[in-house]
Parts: sequence; C-alpha cells; structure tokens
Amino acid sequence: MVSILSAPQARPHAAASSSESPSPTAVQIQNVSVSYPIGKKARRTILEDISIDIQQGEFVVLLGETGCGKSTLLRMILGQEHPTQGHIAVSGSAVQRVDSRCGYVPQKYSLFPDRTVLENLAMGPETSHYHILGRLKPSFRTFRKQVHAEALNQLRHMGLQQSDAGKYPHQLSGGMQQRVAIAQALMMKSRVLLMDEAFSALDPATRSSLQRLLRTVWSETRPTVVFVTHNTAEALYLGTRLIVLARSSHADHCGSRVALDMQLPASGMSLRNNGQEFLDLVDHIEQFSRGDHLTTPSPDGEIR
Amino acid sequence: MKATNVRFLSLIGSLLLLQGFAVTANAHADVPTFTVGWSVYAGWNPYFYMQKSGILKKWADKYAIAIKVQRFDYAASLDSFVAKNIDACTMTNMEALDMPAAAGVDSTAIIIGDYSNGNDAILVRNGLTFDKLPGQRIMLVQKTVSEYLLERGMVLNGQQAQLSKLRLINTSDSDIVPAFLNNTSNPVVVTWKPLVSQILADKSIHSIFDSSKIPAEILDLLVVRTEVLNRPDGSGVKFAKAISGAWYETVQQLAAGQPQALKYSAAASGDSVDSYKEQLKTTALFATPKSASEFATGPAIKQKMDLVRQFCYAHGLLGQGIKSVDDVAITYPDGSIQGRKDRVRLRFNATYMQAAQQGKL
Amino acid sequence: MANFSPFDIQARPNRLLSQSLSVLLFVICIGLYMQTSISRHRENSEDRVVPNARQLAAGIHASVFEPAEEDDYIPADNASRWERLHHSMIWKDTVSSGRRFFISLLLLIPAILLALHIGLFPWFGAGFLRFVLFFDKIVALSLLPILFIVFGIDEWSKIALIVIGVAPTIILDVSQMVRAVPQEQIVKAFTLDANNFDVAYRVVFRQVMPQVINSLRLNLKPMMLFLFAGEMIAASDGLAYRIAIMRRHMGMDVILPYVLWVAFLLFLIDLSLRVLNRRMHPWFQS
Repeated sequence: MVSILSAPQARPHAAASSSESPSPTAVQIQNVSVSYPIGKKARRTILEDISIDIQQGEFVVLLGETGCGKSTLLRMILGQEHPTQGHIAVSGSAVQRVDSRCGYVPQKYSLFPDRTVLENLAMGPETSHYHILGRLKPSFRTFRKQVHAEALNQLRHMGLQQSDAGKYPHQLSGGMQQRVAIAQALMMKSRVLLMDEAFSALDPATRSSLQRLLRTVWSETRPTVVFVTHNTAEALYLGTRLIVLARSSHADHCGSRVALDMQLPASGMSLRNNGQEFLDLVDHIEQFSRGDHLTTPSPDGEIR
Repeated sequence: MKATNVRFLSLIGSLLLLQGFAVTANAHADVPTFTVGWSVYAGWNPYFYMQKSGILKKWADKYAIAIKVQRFDYAASLDSFVAKNIDACTMTNMEALDMPAAAGVDSTAIIIGDYSNGNDAILVRNGLTFDKLPGQRIMLVQKTVSEYLLERGMVLNGQQAQLSKLRLINTSDSDIVPAFLNNTSNPVVVTWKPLVSQILADKSIHSIFDSSKIPAEILDLLVVRTEVLNRPDGSGVKFAKAISGAWYETVQQLAAGQPQALKYSAAASGDSVDSYKEQLKTTALFATPKSASEFATGPAIKQKMDLVRQFCYAHGLLGQGIKSVDDVAITYPDGSIQGRKDRVRLRFNATYMQAAQQGKL
Repeated sequence: MANFSPFDIQARPNRLLSQSLSVLLFVICIGLYMQTSISRHRENSEDRVVPNARQLAAGIHASVFEPAEEDDYIPADNASRWERLHHSMIWKDTVSSGRRFFISLLLLIPAILLALHIGLFPWFGAGFLRFVLFFDKIVALSLLPILFIVFGIDEWSKIALIVIGVAPTIILDVSQMVRAVPQEQIVKAFTLDANNFDVAYRVVFRQVMPQVINSLRLNLKPMMLFLFAGEMIAASDGLAYRIAIMRRHMGMDVILPYVLWVAFLLFLIDLSLRVLNRRMHPWFQS
C-alpha cells in the first residue's frame, strides 16, 4: 500500500505502448487529441495527447471532474466519436464505428423500454446470429430457447427473480435496471465492457450493492472493463487501475491530460477496509483531479 | 372553400348574434334604416353605382329613411336574408323560392331587374351533343340555376328520359374554371359569366346551350321580406318606393351608356368595362319600369315560374318536410295563386314598378 | 355551495359537483339552441335555420333510412331497416368519405417511414429536412389548381390534398420524436450487433410508435378538414358534399345530424387509436 503512495506516477504512460506486455492489449489509445471549433477561428480543446494502453482483464477506472472529457474518451473507444488527432484500437483493430467489440452500460436509457427484461437480454445474441429474415428459419426457435435459458441464468446471477423476466424496464427500480443492463452487455461476451457513470444515478445503498456485484462478476470472468466515474471512492473500490484525467490548473485553455495513472490493489479499497490510508489516498488523488500537478506545455508543444 | 367558410361563419354568427341584432336594431329607431344585400353579378352590380353615385341617398332622403347597401357573397347574402339580418336582397327566382320562401320567410319580389339571356351556358369539349351527355361527367354547382339550365337543355333537346343518367360533380364556383380546363377527361361544364368567357377562351370548347334559349326563366330579383314591406308605420312601403326609384334612375343611366355608371358597375365585380359590357349583352335588363311591370303582370311569368318550382320540388330544394309542390305557393300581381292559398310564401308585387312607370315615386 | 371557489387551484369540488359542472355547458348549449329554435318557430313555423326536434327527427330519418336524392334506388315497401340503412344517404356518404380518409391514412405510412429516416440517417436528414420544413409552410389549399392538373378532380386530388396537407407536419413531428430517442439507445443497439435496419426499425421505430400514433390522433381533425375542403370543392358524394348541397337550400335539419355524425366518427377513430396504442404498447409512459 505504501508503495502506491510513494510512486503515484509509477507508469510512464507514453512508454507503455512500446513495452512488451504479458497479456494482449485490449484497448490502445495513442496520442489522442480532441478539439471542437468554437466560432470561426478558435477551437476548444477537450483532450490533449492522451495515450493509454489497457491490457486484457484490467479493470480501469477513468476518474475526473465533470467536463474533463472522460466520457468523450469512452465514447471514442465505443466508436461513437472520433479523435481529432491520434488513433484508437480495440482488440488490435482500429475503431471506425460502434460495433459489438465493446459492451456498453450508460448511466441512463440503458435498456430498451419497449422490450421486457428477457427480450432485452436476448436481443444481442439474436441480432448477432440471425438477421430479420433469418429468423424464419426453424433453427431460430431452438436458438431462441437456448438464449432465453442463458438469459434467465444471467438474471439469477445478477440477483433478479425469474418473475422479473417478463417485466418492462419501467416496472423495475433504477438499481434493477442497471443490473439488467450489465447482464445484457455480458450476454454478448464482449472483450471490453464500457461503463459510463453507470451507477451515478443510484442511491448510496443500491450503488454499493451494485459495486459489489460488479466486482464479483469481474473477478469471475475477468473481462476488460473501462469504468468512467467522478466519484473517487467508487473508483478506488472498483478498479485495478486508476487513470485520472485533468486539465492543468495553471492553463485552463489546454485540454485534459492523464494526470495520474496508478495500479490499485486487486482487493478493492474502501474506507472500512483501509481506514486512514484510504482517506489519504483520496486526498492525494483529488489534488491530481484538480490538475495541480500538471504543467503547461512548452512553446514547442512538448510536455515537460 | 373561402365562400363556404364565409357562409358557414355568417350562419353561425347570425345564430349567435340573433338576439343582439334585434336589440341594436331597435336602439336607433329614429330614422327607419333598411339594409339591402347584393352580390356580384352583371345585373346586380348597378347597386354599387347606385350607392357610390349618391342616387340611393337622394331617394332615401326623399322618403326620410336610411338605406344601407352591403355586398355579400351570394350564398352569405341569402343566409343573412333568411336569418332576417337584412331587409332586402338580390337573388334569382329559383333561390327566392327555395331559400327564403321554402324556409317559411314570406318574401316579396318588388323589382324584376333582368333575366339571364345567355349568361349561363353549357360548355363542352370535342363537339359533344345532348344525346351524348348521359354517362359523361358534368361539372357544375349543383342545386343552382346551372343544374336547372342543364335539365332544361336536356328536355328541350328531347333527352328527358336520360336525365337520371347524368353524372354530376358538384364543383365550387371558385375553382370550377381551373378544374375544368385542366382535366380534359371531364368534357362538360355548366356555369355562368364571367366564368363562361374565361373557359371559352380555350378554342376547343364551345357552348351547346345557354340561357338565351330559355328566356325569362332565370330571373334576377330584388326581394323584400313581406313583414318589412307591411310594417304598420308604413316605412316599409317608403323603403320599397325609394329603392325602386333609385333603381330605375340607375338602370336608365346604365342603359344610356353613361360612362360613370358603366365604370362603377364594372368595378363592383373587378371587371373591365369591356368585359362588363360583354356580360350586359347576355343580360336582358328590364331597363324601363314599363317593361318590367308588363312582364310581371303578363302570363309568361306564371308559366316560367311553374317550370322553376317543379324543378325545385323534384330536387328536394323545397326541404325534407315539403310533400307537395303546392306547399310553397306563389302569388302574382293579378292575385292568382300557384299552389295552396294558405301557404303563399313568395309574392310578385308590381306596385312599385308600376308606380315608377307612372312617375308616381 | 358553501365554499364557492372557482379560482382556487387547491379547491376540491366533490364528485357530484364536478360531474354536474362538466355537463353544465352542454346543457347551456342545448338550452340556448332550444330557446332560439322555439322563438324562431314562433315567428315562422317553417324556420329551417334552427330546426326544432321534429324537423331534426325528420332530417335524421331521411338521412338514415332514405336513399340520396341522386340515387335511383327505391326501397321496396317491405324493405328491412338494415336494407334501407344500407342504401341510405348517410351510409353512401360515410362510405365514400371514409374510403378517402383511410386511403390517406394508409398513404401517411410511407411519410412516417420517411420521417424515421430523416430523423435517424444523416444523409436523409440532409436531403429532406429543409425541404419538408419549407413545404410544411405551404398552404395546401392554395395549390388546388396544381393538384387538379396532376391528380384530376376525382378521388386522387382529394386524397392528395389531405396527404399534402398533413404529411409535412407529421414528418416533422415524427422526425423530432426520432431525434429525441436517446443516443444511448442507438449506441447500445449497435454494441448488441444490430445493423442499420435493426436500429431503425426494431429499436427506434418501435420506441416512437406510440408517439407516432398520438401524432396521428392529433392530426385526425386537420385530415378531416382537408377532406371536407376537397369534397366541398368538387365531389359527387361524401359527407361534406352533402353538407354543401344541403346548404344550398338551408337543409340544417340534415346538416346538423351530419355534423354530429362526423364528430362521433372522429371521436370513434380517436378512441380506437387510443385503445390500440394502449394494447400494443403496454410499456408506454406518456
């Protein structure tokens, strides 16, 4: 534990991509910058020269204050947005558009309101194996039976009752909905699971029970997870690796950069388990979140 | 559409304001005030000149009454007349019978202004003749003099038996010209001037029948509510005298070709003087009170009106409740009655035309 | 009446009171009508502008059990009521107006699908949206002469008038609904291996369907207005045709039942769409 505090910037992020890694790279983010034109001449920079390599099986938490661009980064991994400069690859190939390489659990609207829980879960496997006309084939019926059985299994695993399977999303509580949303993403067996503030709208008790559930699920199958949050305690509990994005507090016209990139203990840190150490770490991280440690770029663009 | 909206609104308005009207009418009863409604038509446009030239005011002042003249859409003017919002109104003999008279509003025609002498016409493409009309689609404003003209044309051409085979398409007069010209699949249209002239500009279309072949059947009248005419204070009679005097002074100027009279009468319908003169050619004006009163007291009018009332009855224009053509009866200046004595609804009164003739106004 | 408080937002009128308040205006309307009718009939027993109950009953009977004046059909003396109804004026007019109405409704389906594409597919949006925005502001009635040239004066010009009249509004409305579908849903569907067709028709369209039906419900009255306009301009049958003809001789005894019948039909269509919506989309929260 002490080692974490003493070497907060232990991983030189630029070097990571070139070093040979024990597990294959799941997500590769290379020198990504994002900026939008505002008005005729000016551009607003959101992200600036971000490079992150995420190994398979890592649980990466992207932490940062509101507006720091962490969700933008997630959307670029998804393929929903594209970097102005740089390159993003998932499972070794470049991201062009949204596809099923990544699973996705957003904060809201994570389920299709017009489908029951079971239909929501079955939708992914069904669409990926049978297109609309293919469903006329007799084999589809057996396939659907299998998928439904698997979906019920998954539901049980997520702590839902069999009777919930026929319900529509609006009949479930927010926590239940997010459980179903995680199950729905897991049904696709995607290599990478992207979660955008997935628990931020929930009340504290539900939130911590979902955090426990997510950790359990992750430790069982070890998918690669990229979890975006602005809550430091959540980040410390969930992740195996913490990446803090922040804008330099000295020069706020610049985009956000990686302010901190650190490994976390696999057991999950919490105030109850780690006491004062946890609090110190939170303090420490929040300094980075404010961008206190970031320097301004030198005139030639190099980051000192 | 515009016309129908207006008439519908006016109907609703008249329903709602019914009581209100009665109250305001009583409010300034010092000088008896009368309102005449008229609508755009060659034979009625002179009312516009009559008002603008001051002729009307002169005659009204002579009888110490006030007369207002108000332009309406034709349908709206009839609605207003039936709703008793106006005291007198220009209309054809057919509408006089099937609108106010059939609706129980006892009406008196005091001026027979003119008859259509070619203003209404049946126009065809491809040289169609009457025997070819059955089965063809015929565009016209149904239940008006257009349909009457069509039936009379069929009858006079020996096609009476084919009448039920006509395929009529009720077409609003505001759209009938483009609708006919742009649909060569519809070979027949029945309408009136100036629409007739607009359609005949297309040389492939020609007229096979017009109202000059049924002279004096389509009459253009000034109709007064009988109860107004019979007001106990005599103001109704004064009104009838004043408007008759003004009318014949106006018409005489028009017949004499007085430029101002022509100009204003043409402007009343937004026509050019030339176009208006062309319309007048097919309008048989009773330019003198003598001609009008002779027609009103002669035998021809009864015969013509009988054709019209039979048509109205056969087409249900006298209303759902009317079970006999005699239930809407007509009297003539000689006192004779067409129909049941106790159900006289339309009266032809030559008193004022004769007074004008004798110079007693 | 102890606490008379019409301007109190927090007032709680009891059930009986609110029920009677809700019928009050109906009673006033009927009362005013009757009063007007009675006073007009006192003056003129044959008044047609405000027909009395007897005239109305005769008018209803004529519309429901007697053939239209232009028809050759003469019912046999022993014809059943059904037989008479089947050949009646109101039946004939309802069928022909109804056919125009439902064909237009069917033709709105492609418009709705186009709207889906405009809202969802950037290429369609770029190509169509501005044009539809512009076209929406065109007063369809003023295009009538053009419609006559293109569609003739028969059925198709009336149907075209309805479709051109309401389709742009519906397209704009539906494409707004499509745009309002959260981006998360579309992204999520793509992560579940859905293709463009799946996303458009099996995710977005299914979700906006109840709103689309509600939009149609709101447009029923404009549709009827355009149908009436068309039938009043040129027609040989239909509900508005009959009203136009009856007005020529002030047949309010037939017009009033027709107006109420049209109102009832519209109410019925609206109700059935509402019930259909509730049945088909139990998940929908308005």
